[in-house]
Amino acid sequence: MEKPCNSSKVIEVTVISAEGLLLNRKKPVKKNACVVVRSDPFNSRSTGMDREGGSYPSWNEKLVMELPVRARFITVEAHSGSKLIGTANIPVSDFAGGYLPENYLSFLSYRLRNANGEKNGIINLSVKVKGEGAKSGCGGGGSCTASCSGRPWTGVPPVDGSKVSDLGIVTGIPVRYRY
Amino acid sequence: MGNCCSDVAGGQSAVGGTTSYAVNAPNEAVDAFLRSRGYKGLFSQIELSISAANLRDRDVLSKSDPMAILYMKGSDGSLQELGRTEVVLNSLNPKWIRKYTVTYQFEMVQNLVFRVYDVDTQFQNIDVKALKLEEQQFLGEATCTLSEIVTKSNRMLTLDLAREENSLPGQIRQSGQLMVYAEETVASKTTVELILRCTDLESKDLFSKSDPFLVISKITESGVLVPICKTEVLKNDHNPKWKQISLSIQQVGSKDSPLIIECFNFNSNGKHDLLGKVQKSLAGLEKLHSLAVGENLFIPVLIGQNHPNKVLKSQLFVDKYSENIQHTFLDYLAGGYELNFMVAIDFTASNGNPRLPDSLHYIDPSGRPNAYQRAILEVGGVLQFYDYDKKFPAWGFGARPIDGPVSHCFNLNGSSNYCEVEGIHGIMMAYTSALFNVSLAGPTLFGHVVTNAAQIASGSVARNERKYFILLIITDGVITDLQETKDAFVMASDLPLSILIVGVGGADFKEMEILDADKGERLESSTGRVASRDIVQFVPLRDVHGGEASVVQSLLAELPSQFLMYVRARGIGPNQ
Repeated sequence: MEKPCNSSKVIEVTVISAEGLLLNRKKPVKKNACVVVRSDPFNSRSTGMDREGGSYPSWNEKLVMELPVRARFITVEAHSGSKLIGTANIPVSDFAGGYLPENYLSFLSYRLRNANGEKNGIINLSVKVKGEGAKSGCGGGGSCTASCSGRPWTGVPPVDGSKVSDLGIVTGIPVRYRY
Repeated sequence: MGNCCSDVAGGQSAVGGTTSYAVNAPNEAVDAFLRSRGYKGLFSQIELSISAANLRDRDVLSKSDPMAILYMKGSDGSLQELGRTEVVLNSLNPKWIRKYTVTYQFEMVQNLVFRVYDVDTQFQNIDVKALKLEEQQFLGEATCTLSEIVTKSNRMLTLDLAREENSLPGQIRQSGQLMVYAEETVASKTTVELILRCTDLESKDLFSKSDPFLVISKITESGVLVPICKTEVLKNDHNPKWKQISLSIQQVGSKDSPLIIECFNFNSNGKHDLLGKVQKSLAGLEKLHSLAVGENLFIPVLIGQNHPNKVLKSQLFVDKYSENIQHTFLDYLAGGYELNFMVAIDFTASNGNPRLPDSLHYIDPSGRPNAYQRAILEVGGVLQFYDYDKKFPAWGFGARPIDGPVSHCFNLNGSSNYCEVEGIHGIMMAYTSALFNVSLAGPTLFGHVVTNAAQIASGSVARNERKYFILLIITDGVITDLQETKDAFVMASDLPLSILIVGVGGADFKEMEILDADKGERLESSTGRVASRDIVQFVPLRDVHGGEASVVQSLLAELPSQFLMYVRARGIGPNQ
């Protein structure tokens, strides 16, 4: 039987800020917003609480964590005190692999969705993959040799609100992009 | 130009204390409001120093006494004099001390003309401004563009001085060299960073709190307010704290120049309610910060009342005030950064048969450019100076190459291996040639060309090249793959890439404006990812009116800010 692969790479996730955080879909968050980032069910890191930013909090907090090689997502949860405001699933392919070189600082923003699958603000963060995990740049010669025949990026529509899973997490499917 | 307003670089600092992307997108309604009040965007002041070598000696018993004059050449060929140097006595290798100050505008090709004269001895005590040039001896002329100077690594350009021989009309004779050195004024680089907040704002909305934003304006000598900066709009907030804004000292004038800070309640119809204002200089704002006190807002009351202003309980506080020197757009150019131009042209059937005069692709035998050619010339004409090898990727989409299926990204030069053409002339040739080698088809899909441009940009990042890419898409119609295009734009928003879309013809371009992050809505992909910065701008070419600055110029004017946002967020310095 094949031995499970335990190798992982280190990622630096800087949780920058969030926008338009609401409680119960209408009341702007007043204070104490924080963010939890999970790379797997047993590995999570949390920011401190932003006591001033209200529904537009900012943290600028760097969280260093391990990312299992087989992980396909990291999950970001925004909380206000003990209340979950919204969640976003970030495909690993958005910040690692393809053309992007090792140590590339990716700035990423995602729509947060609440337990009912409804939009509830935006989370802004940056991710840098450390160590040998990130695939290095392609060896293509000229900058322009890529043919024009390739398929453009495609995406998967977000899950319909009525069919959302009990956990209230947006289901994202990683799509192989060309860089 | 090297400085940024809040909508350009926002308030958050990412890793390493640099500016982050993730900010509220520019708000078109607020932008239009500011433009209506005279907001012009950002610019840099350049000081030009000049010297010459090996000038012709026109004096019999001594050497020439040279003076140089700088002109700006208009698009109609007219010359506007910008200044004259002093006269240097008895020198064929003069180093003039007097500098010229020129406002550098990225979005225009600024043609400079330098003329050198030998000033006759009898006029040497007269102020140079009063000298009649026809009474002086012409030594030679040199021309260049301002962008040619600022893109040089040492910001120095050597030009040949030439003059037409009177005895042999049409014969040009070399008359020495002119060295031009450009330096950005310190005021262009000194930036004040502010975090402002207000307390106890009044409510102007019926069922909710106000949606406040600030506009900072300077007061001209004639008393006119000129907006120089704005904050983002904060929804439903009576005690707003805005993200950090940056002002260059140059934009303001000086630290003691009076500023008006107005707080408005945002209305989507563009008629924003004034919630109050404050008049303070930068020095005054610095004092508010150091004393940690607020300043009451006031509302001007109609003339004829006893009290000119109604003082409100609302207050303005300065939570942060700091001055620093920031790297500007020109610093990055001098450090070797390139802007690489790429173009994609719409070959869908809705353009009409290229052989008929009513087609948008019609090639006029008189040489008058069609809308596609005009867009290429206007955008490429500016950007070519920032691209060292002047080899431009050029694609077409929405056509059927001979004996092939419809292609949504084909190389304009007809090659199956490489997509680059030589220079703007090369794009024009490839475009004309393609018109006769493909049959127009459809639908209008952008996804493929954006993917290709993104692939080139990301490949450049992987090779650690110091390049920023600009893709110009020229189209006549509404796109069919709106969501797919959004997905592509969102993915590309984290790359060194900006996308300019020029709409030609009379189609309804409503959907295109959605791509331009209209009304402050950031583009969102089908997987929930949101554009980390606004990289797309759209403009319909038909908005150009005679005598006005081209709308394409307003497109290009945003590029330095988008470039700076990318490099600053990553903490990339000009020489890294």
